[in-house]
Amino acid sequence: MLKIEELYVSYGPVEAIHGISIEVKEKEIVSILGSNGAGKSTILKTISGILKPKKGVITLNNKVINDLDPSQIVKMGVTHIPEGRHIFPNLTIKENLILGGYFLKENEVKKQMDYVINIFPILKERLNSKAGSLSGGEQQMLVIGRGLMSKPKLLLLDEPSLGLSPKLVSTIFETLKTLNHSEFLPILLVEQNAKKALQISDRSYILVNGKIVLSGKSEDLIEKEEVKKLYLGR
Amino acid sequence: MILLNLLIRGLITGAIYSLTSMGIVLILSTTLVMNFAQGDMGMLLAYFAFFMLARQIPYPVVFAIVILIGILLGFLFEKYLMSRARKTSHLGMVMITLALTMIFEGFVGYTFSTMPLLFPKAISGDPLQIFGVIIDKHDLFTFIVSIIIVIVLFIILYKTKIGIAARSLAEDEFGARILGIPINSIYLFIWMAAFAIAGVSGILVAGRQTLEPHFMVVIQLKGFMAAVLGGMNSIIGSVLGGFLLGMIENLVSFYIPQIKDSFSLILIVLVLLFLPQGIFGKREVRRA
Repeated sequence: MLKIEELYVSYGPVEAIHGISIEVKEKEIVSILGSNGAGKSTILKTISGILKPKKGVITLNNKVINDLDPSQIVKMGVTHIPEGRHIFPNLTIKENLILGGYFLKENEVKKQMDYVINIFPILKERLNSKAGSLSGGEQQMLVIGRGLMSKPKLLLLDEPSLGLSPKLVSTIFETLKTLNHSEFLPILLVEQNAKKALQISDRSYILVNGKIVLSGKSEDLIEKEEVKKLYLGR
Repeated sequence: MILLNLLIRGLITGAIYSLTSMGIVLILSTTLVMNFAQGDMGMLLAYFAFFMLARQIPYPVVFAIVILIGILLGFLFEKYLMSRARKTSHLGMVMITLALTMIFEGFVGYTFSTMPLLFPKAISGDPLQIFGVIIDKHDLFTFIVSIIIVIVLFIILYKTKIGIAARSLAEDEFGARILGIPINSIYLFIWMAAFAIAGVSGILVAGRQTLEPHFMVVIQLKGFMAAVLGGMNSIIGSVLGGFLLGMIENLVSFYIPQIKDSFSLILIVLVLLFLPQGIFGKREVRRA
């Protein structure tokens, strides 16, 4: 459903992404792996319209979305859950969720909120407390829940495991897997935690300095010697 | 009894400070622009109001028209000036608001002369006496209208989607942008609201004193002080700061008239020294 062809992105004169091609098919979880500064977040920001590509084509269900702004892209069903949480700490959890469903109609907001609360029951009792009072793991759940409020057809997920305890990381990844299995929600996942990402995803791309050096089925990649050595620490 | 009189008058002056400081903080917290033009936008609109009132257009109609002009000017200002300046320089945006004050004061002085004009009160007649407190009718009107404006703004900010989005913008612009919130429309809305409020306070203040090109400068300054006192990032704080400043000022000018004029400046220095977030300013409730 999402197709990126020969994408180049630069920050001013500095080029960060040098001609990459990535595809996410229906029902798939695809991960982009790579170290800090490889350009993973840049790719997601370009898909969601925050950054504009210098060259290349991004299509969603065969429609070119290069020149759309973030609002239009969200309306088309692409939701970007950013790295570093970016919750609104002084707004209540409920208000945070309402903003996630900014383009929904009044009655849909209520329905979708029930759906999100069902996935993350921890948010339920605290709907009227400030989001800043949540713990790190709870905030991550809020961010994912807020992203789900927009009824996404494609989820872009940036480093959901960052700064969380291993147990919480497992919980979050379990949830993502369930979403993908039960609702066939395609997910494009960006991760430094290569092991987890390879386990959960169908296919993966490995990004080094803005170029894709390796790609394929995750179950094959996890067995490759160079992947093991460089990313899995074995 | 004197004390009660002083406090009530302080509340009324405070209501006017609150309106201006609310306008300033609304803009500052969301766009990070210090809006120097809040007071003088009110001055300009008060002049428009004066000439409509002089043509016998009834007060409520003038009020409505002034609010509409304020909204229109806010729209044009964001759409054609601020949105362009935002792309290049932040300081530029602040300078534009400063330039606006000079343009407005110059325009008004040139077109209508700088001669003080007597602005009609919303309700004239003898002051009321309620339980020994003497209140001018226009002052009572001022107080009630200010409270209504504050309540309306709070309903918008806390109960409507666009209001909640405006508050989210004050917290995390990137977070708002990535959710697809149409930020440019929110900016438009904020400036429209701020200039509509400016128009209301312009009329209210003009009715208590004479109309001349600089009559809102002091109010702008007091609004700014009220914002510092209440907390620059808190809209509730800005409103409460306004009332508080009005009351304290009134008490001081009665009991210690020697420091009447310098008092609020001393207060601001003290607040900035010992309570830099203001009395009601939010400390970030953020866990790591």
